[in-house]
Amino acid sequence: MSPAAKLLSGSIRAYELILRPVIGANCRFYPSCSAYAREAVCTHGAFKGAMLAGRRILSCHPWHPGGYDPVPQNIPEA
Amino acid sequence: MDQKRLFLAIAISLAIMVIFQVVIDKFLPHPPPAPVVTLAQPQHNAGPAQATAAGAPGTAQTVPAAAGPRLAIDAPKLSGSIALTGAVLDDIQLKEYHETISKTSPLVQILGRRDGDKPTFVQFGWDAVTPNTPVPTDSTLWTASAPKLTPATPVTLSWNNGAGLTFQLALAIDNNFMFTVHQQVINHASAAVQLYPWSRVVRDYTPQEKTTYILHEGPLGVFNNTLKEISYKTTKNDGTNTPGGTAFSETSNGGWLGITDKYWLNALIPDQSENLSGAVRYLPTELGDGHAYQTDFITTAAQTIAPGATGDNLMRVFTGAKLIDTLDAYGTQYGIPSFDKAIDFGWFYFITKPIFFALDWLNSKIGNFGLAIMVFTIGVKLLFFPLANYSYRSMGKMKAVAPKIKLIKEKYKDDNAKVQQETMALYKAEKINPASGCLPMLVQIPVFFSLYKVIYITIEMRQAPFYGWIHDLSAPDPTNIFNLFGLIPFDPSTLSPFLAVGALPLIMGFTMFLQQKLNPAPPDPVQARMFQFMPIIFTFMLARFPAGLVLYWTWNNLLTVGQQWLIMRRAAAPQQTRQLAKT
Repeated sequence: MSPAAKLLSGSIRAYELILRPVIGANCRFYPSCSAYAREAVCTHGAFKGAMLAGRRILSCHPWHPGGYDPVPQNIPEA
Repeated sequence: MDQKRLFLAIAISLAIMVIFQVVIDKFLPHPPPAPVVTLAQPQHNAGPAQATAAGAPGTAQTVPAAAGPRLAIDAPKLSGSIALTGAVLDDIQLKEYHETISKTSPLVQILGRRDGDKPTFVQFGWDAVTPNTPVPTDSTLWTASAPKLTPATPVTLSWNNGAGLTFQLALAIDNNFMFTVHQQVINHASAAVQLYPWSRVVRDYTPQEKTTYILHEGPLGVFNNTLKEISYKTTKNDGTNTPGGTAFSETSNGGWLGITDKYWLNALIPDQSENLSGAVRYLPTELGDGHAYQTDFITTAAQTIAPGATGDNLMRVFTGAKLIDTLDAYGTQYGIPSFDKAIDFGWFYFITKPIFFALDWLNSKIGNFGLAIMVFTIGVKLLFFPLANYSYRSMGKMKAVAPKIKLIKEKYKDDNAKVQQETMALYKAEKINPASGCLPMLVQIPVFFSLYKVIYITIEMRQAPFYGWIHDLSAPDPTNIFNLFGLIPFDPSTLSPFLAVGALPLIMGFTMFLQQKLNPAPPDPVQARMFQFMPIIFTFMLARFPAGLVLYWTWNNLLTVGQQWLIMRRAAAPQQTRQLAKT
């Protein structure tokens, strides 16, 4: 993992342990947005992982059905 | 295993924090009290700035005698006096604000005399370009045109330099907190004279700051429409060893600058068409703790005063309480840019300010700031109700799929992740989902952050009473469970500030616990344990915060619990009525 990815992954873990208990767990997906973000950053690096996580958070709202949505192993070139 | 180590780490950290606090209090030397300056002591202190070419207002060179003549000031909202020796505005009390809840306690002193323990003052002066031009100094004795400055009676201070120049300070005050000062120079001599008028706000001591994380206290100003907040610490660090003690300087068209406290502001506001150089400095002085924080303005171009002519420079001085309505009114009246930002609204200005207004308005209608917070919280809850409703509604439908989820749980008993995964897949297929999503939470965070900030900084909450044992919403709950609410005549918070938890924070902890009971625990076991600890951690953390904030938090938890209960009941109701119709 690159230092940037490590830093991101660490701060996501910190969020899960400190901030998440305060604002409540509200994710409509499995894995949850934070778990998804950590995995995405670990497998695809800081930048691509952050993009994937951002897309996931943007679709995590009441008008999206949610459900099972794992981190893709291969990202199709956009 | 991993989990046990985590909790051990948390427990050890907490223990270290508590022990550290005790050790600090008991064994480390406390800063000595500021030395009292005796008047007989000769005070000579060459300001570093006097020599600079463009001129910069230096520090106090001598301390004016306390017993010297003074011009009294009396206005509806403030009173005080100006020392005629040096023309120093160093004594202003706010008539409507007392230091403590007791109405017999002293009034809040926002400008303090230099022979007192909290010297803070405003002063005007001139730097001469023309050599050998005598200009007023700290020991100059000015003559006042009247004995008292009131809104109805402006006063002019004057001093003749004996070389053909008469310096004047034409002072006026309005019904609120604003002085208008015309710095005038009448040239009777035969040659033109060039001067730089300057003005400054100086604080000769370092105040005790409550917190630097939530709130800015110290030097601040708006230069070229941009707010700059320079903390005491930054001023000290950046101003040490720089020429003129300059920690910050910027040339600006108009703007304002000064020194602020949580609730009070002393600021200089120039004519907004004027080009000035503003600076924040850290300077040596023989008063207080030996150093002064100074914010000053000096015109960028020298004023040339022809023989027979009068030079005039306008400066306004705000010394008062940071009431949002007052600041906004002055901002409009005199075209002062971002004057309302003297109140530390922070990053979320565009949300924080409307919330500020709403709370102040509610307070003026209801008459109790605690109730105003409660009414406002209901409003916020109503605003986000459709969102909560949308997600909670599906909780009713959950009953229909409960048997299926039970099946999944039995099928994958030993694989928690698989259970979650299959459950989510089922929700998707049935088009239901109990959670509202991460995005709505992210949207709500700034709103709650702003509300929290407003409750923390608003002057309306200062010494505002609530009911029962809360007499000041801006102070922590005075009760303490660790001496059984006063039954034991002992104050445990002297051992450690952590050993002070009032009744209201305890109620808050309980409501937080209740709220968590209504929500499903997160699948991650470490997170689930953190969830269980949160009410305890928050009880201790919020115990030292203003009671108004704890009140807000408690009330918000209760509303959340009530809302969830209501929606879940309503979602369950249609099924019951259908069953009734069948029979």
